[in-house]
Amino acid sequence: MKEYLPILVVFLFVLGFAVTNLVLAHLLGRHRNTRAKLMPYECGIDPVGSAHQRFSVRFYLVAMMFILFDIEAVFLLPWAVIFRSLSEKLSRPFVYAEMMVFLIVLLVGYIYVWKKGVFEWNRG
Amino acid sequence: MQFSNLNLDYFSILPEIITALAGVILMLIDAFSKKAGRKLSPMFSLFALVATLASIIALWPRASYTASFAGMIVNDHLRLYFALVIVACGIIATLLASQFLDDEALPPGEFYALMMFATTGMLMMASAGDLVMVFLGLETSSIATYVMAGYRRTDLRANESSLKYFLLGSFSAAFLLYGMALTYGATGTTNIEGIRQILIAGKVIYPQMLLVGVAMMLVGFGFKIATAPFHLWTPDVYEGAPTLVTAILATGPKVAVFAAFLRVFAEGLGTPTAPAVGAQIYDNWINALAVMAAIGMTFGNIVALAQRNMKRMLAYSSIAHGGYTLIGFLTTEYAPVGFYMLTYALMSLGAFAIVQMLAREGDAKTEISDYAGIGFEVPNLSFPLAIFMLSMAGIPPMAGFMGKFYVFKSAWVSSPNLRWLVIVAIINSIISVYYYLYPIVVMFFRPPVSDFTKPRLSPMSQLALAITIIGTLYFGLFPNGALKVLQQKTPGAQQVAVQK
Repeated sequence: MKEYLPILVVFLFVLGFAVTNLVLAHLLGRHRNTRAKLMPYECGIDPVGSAHQRFSVRFYLVAMMFILFDIEAVFLLPWAVIFRSLSEKLSRPFVYAEMMVFLIVLLVGYIYVWKKGVFEWNRG
Repeated sequence: MQFSNLNLDYFSILPEIITALAGVILMLIDAFSKKAGRKLSPMFSLFALVATLASIIALWPRASYTASFAGMIVNDHLRLYFALVIVACGIIATLLASQFLDDEALPPGEFYALMMFATTGMLMMASAGDLVMVFLGLETSSIATYVMAGYRRTDLRANESSLKYFLLGSFSAAFLLYGMALTYGATGTTNIEGIRQILIAGKVIYPQMLLVGVAMMLVGFGFKIATAPFHLWTPDVYEGAPTLVTAILATGPKVAVFAAFLRVFAEGLGTPTAPAVGAQIYDNWINALAVMAAIGMTFGNIVALAQRNMKRMLAYSSIAHGGYTLIGFLTTEYAPVGFYMLTYALMSLGAFAIVQMLAREGDAKTEISDYAGIGFEVPNLSFPLAIFMLSMAGIPPMAGFMGKFYVFKSAWVSSPNLRWLVIVAIINSIISVYYYLYPIVVMFFRPPVSDFTKPRLSPMSQLALAITIIGTLYFGLFPNGALKVLQQKTPGAQQVAVQK
């Protein structure tokens, strides 16, 4: 179980970071409550009213793009951490090329959504 | 895991590489020029599929049980044969696609890209030597086909079909994945050959867990090949999806799932002489499969009798054909299943292609009564449809007869205690003749419908139709060539792939 200690430390750190920020904001920040600020937080949508409404498909596109790049980061980070030790077991160009293949695939996807106009926010 | 034993062999995954790359390029063609896409995409995907076909044939002399990529990819004859059938299905579907997309005025680019990605997934399933790879291939092909089922975006029925397919497909994938996880927990490996070795050595860690895991995998595969009692999604999905997509759904993925099914069950768990749980598990799954096959055929055929819509009828008929194919598992060899899948794919693609051509925009005319009296109006469509129907019913000289005969005969010889299944299958074939003959009767012997206009046939569709007709007749009359290919034995003994 000893090897899991760093993970526990990370959890404690994350918890401490979040709590500290909230407490500091509460203590140091100025409190000027407006109507909008007191509303339940709903990502900018009016929280009262019918839930059966159409909303833009763009929400999903943004979510998908987010996941795409999120996964990129999730893969890149461990790869960067073990790059050196992995290069000793396998050849260095191979370890490098494998990640580049992944990045190129992502890049092609990026070009595709760009050309398809996903980033043109104000188009009808 | 030892890195020195990864055994990276890029040549052995050349077919998958070609189709995946082609898919990406097709996506970009569509993104940069929609206009060029309409002309260029079908040509390019045909070219890519023919290249894939060539690469599979080039891989043939290298067939062996030695797994590459740390046991993920197996390049034996089972893989090569099924890959060949999958790519052939892809080529026929691509030939049919351009007319379908033009007639329905649908955006062309993504369709070909999706088809390429689906083919990649199917090829991965055929070459998988590891449960993880099976699942990866299954999802790759499924996600592409979920989208294709709803390709007619403004049509409510297509939306329904796509959503149903997606929900039930993911549900079944969860079953499969959970089964794989339990199997991994019970044996300590996800490698299919590794599982077999552990069963033979009698070193299963948790036998009960393995039983549950295998049962769940059986459910997962059962869903994907649409055999009863896991077939409920099939008729709705097949009816709602554009007919060409139905043709693809009913052939390519089914062939691929059967390949993976064979790999996992007939090869990995096909251990009748193993000690303790090994033999028990074999007994269990073979009996469960026999019951599934019997229910599948009987249910599919009897419900098909009541159908008045051509696509629904073919959907139930495909459930029945799934049942016939499962009988081939009794032999624990891949040849009967492989040959049946080849014949089934050819006649099914052909039949759906004709339904597609007769259906008009938005699949308006798919009731069997819409075919009244068209027999001599469009002989170039009605006679082929009659051939495919007779072939599906299993009337000799058509390929369907040879497929059925081969499956039934090998099952009869190899497993004497399950002969009742073959008898059930033969009774079922007789029942099925009624509903396969019904469209023929309507086409040739009913007074013609007044508003019938001859459909337009593009040269590519005609070529696709010709391939399926010639294939159906050829494999019915001269099955020896295909059977010889199927009975090739991969050289060398099966080896444990490198793991840990």
